[in-house]
Amino acid sequence: MDQGSALEGLRCFAPQGRLDALTVPRFEEGLRDYLEQGRAQLVIDFGDVTYISSSGLRALLTARRLAKSKGGDLKLCRLSPRVYEIFEMVGFTQVFGIYDSVEDAQTAFTSMVTPADEEAD
Amino acid sequence: MDIKRSLTVPGRFEYLATIADFIAVAGRDAGFDQDMIFHVQMAVDEACSNVIEHAYQGQDKGDITLSCHCDGKDWVIAIFDTGRPFDPASIPAPNLEPCLEDIKTGGLGLYFMHQLMDEVEFSFDEETGNKLRMVKRGV
Repeated sequence: MDQGSALEGLRCFAPQGRLDALTVPRFEEGLRDYLEQGRAQLVIDFGDVTYISSSGLRALLTARRLAKSKGGDLKLCRLSPRVYEIFEMVGFTQVFGIYDSVEDAQTAFTSMVTPADEEAD
Repeated sequence: MDIKRSLTVPGRFEYLATIADFIAVAGRDAGFDQDMIFHVQMAVDEACSNVIEHAYQGQDKGDITLSCHCDGKDWVIAIFDTGRPFDPASIPAPNLEPCLEDIKTGGLGLYFMHQLMDEVEFSFDEETGNKLRMVKRGV
């Protein structure tokens, strides 16, 4: 799993394959380590993720709460139709800012306005 | 086409991908479409993760056996384990209110199983252990 590459100062996590009960602990640990270092803005590139289970969704929610507590957020991009369908089933498409590309997700941080923020306000 | 097959694997998370492959092959052989196969794969993944986490309360505590019956229209999956009795009523339903910061995701796996399958039925027998029977009806 690629735990990230610096892109214009913003970290981009790019997990690969299945995010299931086997792989989520490592994914979650990587997110927590990053966020606990005080860097609260994070893009997660789902382009190479084929599946995400409920444990993966819980990890995202936990990481989002941690990021928010530090004044930041998570932004997600390049979700496959299958992964997007899973997000839709539990309403996470309204919770997370979801973008078509890494660049769009990074750009969204400059305004710090997401569809979820707009709806929540 | 009437297809019956079974798979037994150790109760370890590393076998979840093997189970997903087993479901995919069974679904393809039975002629089910990709959407249906994906939905059953996800329901079974959540069910088997729950077996390891809740029934066995850890890895390497016992086996998981899946039986799969496709009659050309409906798809019946049974999952067996010898762990602690599972009571679905003890699992709170998730609170998925999208605008709340304190979304509760306990029971999310069970929620997916009910969303994705047409029938979900748990039973326990002192001798044979837990049985989860799930049915996905073909279109």
